[in-house]
Amino acid sequence: MNGYGGTILRVNLTDGKISKELTPAQLARDFIGGRGFGIYFLFKEVPKGTDPLGPENKLIISTGPLSGMMAPGGGKCDWTTKSPLTGGYADASMGGHFTAEMKYAGLDTIILEGASAKPVYLFIDNEKIQLLDASSLWGKGAIDVEVELKHKYGEEYQIAAIGPGGENQVLYACINHDFGRQAGRGGVGAVMGSKKVKAIVLHGTKSVPVADLEAYRKAGMALYKACKDAEGLAEWSRYGTTIVTSWCNEVGALPTRNFSAGSFEGIDNINGQAMRKEIVITDKGCFGCPSPCGKYSNMKRYNTQVEGPEYETIGLMGSNLGIGDIQVIAEANRLADDLGIDTISAGSCIAWAMECYEKGILTKADTDGLELKFGNTEAVFTLIKKIAYREGKIGDLLALGVKQASQEVGKGSEKFAIQVKGMEQSAYATHNATAMLLAYMTCDVGAHHNRSWAITYDLQVGREKVVPEKVAHIIWLQNFRPMFDVFGSCRLQWVELGIDRDLYCPLLDAITGVKRSWQDLEAVGNRIWNLTRMYWVRENEGFGRDWDLPATRFYTEPPKTGVTAGQITKFEDVQRLLDMYYEQRGWDNNGLPTQATLETLNLTTLVA
Amino acid sequence: MSDLEPHFLQYMSATIRPLGMLKSYLGELKEATVEAGHSVLETLTTLGINPDLVAGVFVNNEQQSKDYILQDGDIVKLLAVIGGG
Amino acid sequence: MRLYADSAKCSGCRACLVACSLNLFQESNPKKASLNLIPHFPNPGVFEMKVCTQCGDCAAVCPTEAIKLNDRGAYYVDFAECNLCEACVPECPEDVMFVRTELANAAWKCDLCGDCVSVCGTSALWIAN
Repeated sequence: MNGYGGTILRVNLTDGKISKELTPAQLARDFIGGRGFGIYFLFKEVPKGTDPLGPENKLIISTGPLSGMMAPGGGKCDWTTKSPLTGGYADASMGGHFTAEMKYAGLDTIILEGASAKPVYLFIDNEKIQLLDASSLWGKGAIDVEVELKHKYGEEYQIAAIGPGGENQVLYACINHDFGRQAGRGGVGAVMGSKKVKAIVLHGTKSVPVADLEAYRKAGMALYKACKDAEGLAEWSRYGTTIVTSWCNEVGALPTRNFSAGSFEGIDNINGQAMRKEIVITDKGCFGCPSPCGKYSNMKRYNTQVEGPEYETIGLMGSNLGIGDIQVIAEANRLADDLGIDTISAGSCIAWAMECYEKGILTKADTDGLELKFGNTEAVFTLIKKIAYREGKIGDLLALGVKQASQEVGKGSEKFAIQVKGMEQSAYATHNATAMLLAYMTCDVGAHHNRSWAITYDLQVGREKVVPEKVAHIIWLQNFRPMFDVFGSCRLQWVELGIDRDLYCPLLDAITGVKRSWQDLEAVGNRIWNLTRMYWVRENEGFGRDWDLPATRFYTEPPKTGVTAGQITKFEDVQRLLDMYYEQRGWDNNGLPTQATLETLNLTTLVA
Repeated sequence: MSDLEPHFLQYMSATIRPLGMLKSYLGELKEATVEAGHSVLETLTTLGINPDLVAGVFVNNEQQSKDYILQDGDIVKLLAVIGGG
Repeated sequence: MRLYADSAKCSGCRACLVACSLNLFQESNPKKASLNLIPHFPNPGVFEMKVCTQCGDCAAVCPTEAIKLNDRGAYYVDFAECNLCEACVPECPEDVMFVRTELANAAWKCDLCGDCVSVCGTSALWIAN
């Protein structure tokens, strides 16, 4: 099948059975790949009510038609599962070179099922597929594991590994690859750890068939040319996502001290300029990417290296913790990566704990003696380790994520647990930015910004405005942006360089032989969106509007400092946003897709 | 030199080059020549460019803050982040 | 004319390798490319690029005269003439003479098509005299 590896690989960790199926042509037509395949298999094969950390959950890893091809950003794979953090749909997009290697091994999807009694790693080398003993790797950090496995098998082998965080099933454990890339959010690493899969070793030498070779080459080259001609390419490649750090601070979007404000006084020591000056050594790119956002850094103070920090980690592990030192943030990033926990969720949990401590809700008796004040670097380093090992009362508590931790502790701490649907909010403070607030409220994995990003848009239209046009904009972004996750590619070339997205259509056509316009693609996006929504509905008794509410802070506590001091969104506006959103989406007043909508989208059979 | 002789003052100037959507602020022009010695923020105000929409200021390819004081000969690129993260 | 590489600018993206294999073999298969991209991670955290300098040492040693000059003035392997003796491989001072029988039935090398330069977003590659 043109553009595809051709095979779905199933690995049953319980009985060790490894089986292959041909990738169904109809699946490729209807769901295209990547995140589309992920939700299809999740909905169809993981029974309702499955324990996310139990053997019936599946970890579904999918490439897409652009993965491994001569396409800017053809380097992403999608990891889909039922989230142990939220109890709903989770997917994480991982860059690097793993997805390309999957295609060269002839694989469109790898489905990990069941659970192994003993630690194993999955070894894939073209047709040779084995589950091998990982007892000597178990307990090691993700970086060491990658070093060891590359040394054992060869530089060409691509490795994805969990750290102790995943082994210990920290609910936001991540999966690491290529010395600096992660399948980060939603606890995909915990699911991998619950199956006792320490790593995946991947190697393939096959080539991917395409429908029209000349057209493929031409369309791919046109996209590369557009990227290379883009204004701002040099600037973007120099700073990556850190390019927005100072600006977010200026517009009140930089999470500061557990999102109590949107501006941070220590900004000059944590922005992109500070990074380049103090630590960055290499601009590192994922497969096929002409605009490398990765900033590989060397921290002289600690004699360590990390790919990062990117903007999210600067936010959640820097300003959000009251830390104004880029080397500290980079080292915290490295610790979290190596131990295998998501920096965004970990940063948010630590910030919540710091606010609890400063308010006296948690005392030294609860924190194993740690003085959890904002800005305490040593406490941050110690806590990251405690969380990864679930060590002590505090480590075990924070390993649950901020929603469950705050429910356990109570005493009003739920009010400053900055999360939606159980996922900690990523690095944009939304005290007064209604489009972005709505983005976080309605993102289908919880409070993550990847589906729709609207900071500039809010500033253009008027940050406090609550108008149907804002809602329409968010919906459009949600139908459109995740299509890159379906293609198996990165979205940042379009997002950051502003290239013409129509250039992707001839490329997809030339590769797959299926002609699709962006209208067609957004229709697929809309369909997938409704399916992920229905997954939440199915798995959560009483799912509805309440689950879409933002973190309480954003409609109750105006910041006392910074650019957005005194500004907050009114709760009635939160509800108005949802009213408009549900109406425009074709959902009922409680946020459930109506029967009519499901029929129009041809989803009634699948969700029955 | 008497007061009657012409003094040829040399203006210190910098070039402002908005990228992407920010170009619309200069209409037909690709760039604007401005007086050096002012901060980027002041200059944006003078040019009528909303500073909130300017995500990145690059002076001779290095990112600078909006407090940066423009020097003679500086080439300043202004970047908006439309798509985001 | 030859290809040049500035390792300090290389981001390790491998776009060059895909473009190369597409040119040489009409396949998207970076393992069948004629540049050598060597990552050095986690420490020191840099990429090393090696490219064909068109020195001609490979051609000089080839017993079947399979390594010829194309109309760009660059040495290339005529697959039909290559007998896989591998004499060329150790001769190459840049390790960019490739023989992998599981991938192809002939040796392969850079033919100076320039596609790698077209896809390199960091300008780490260029062609000059």
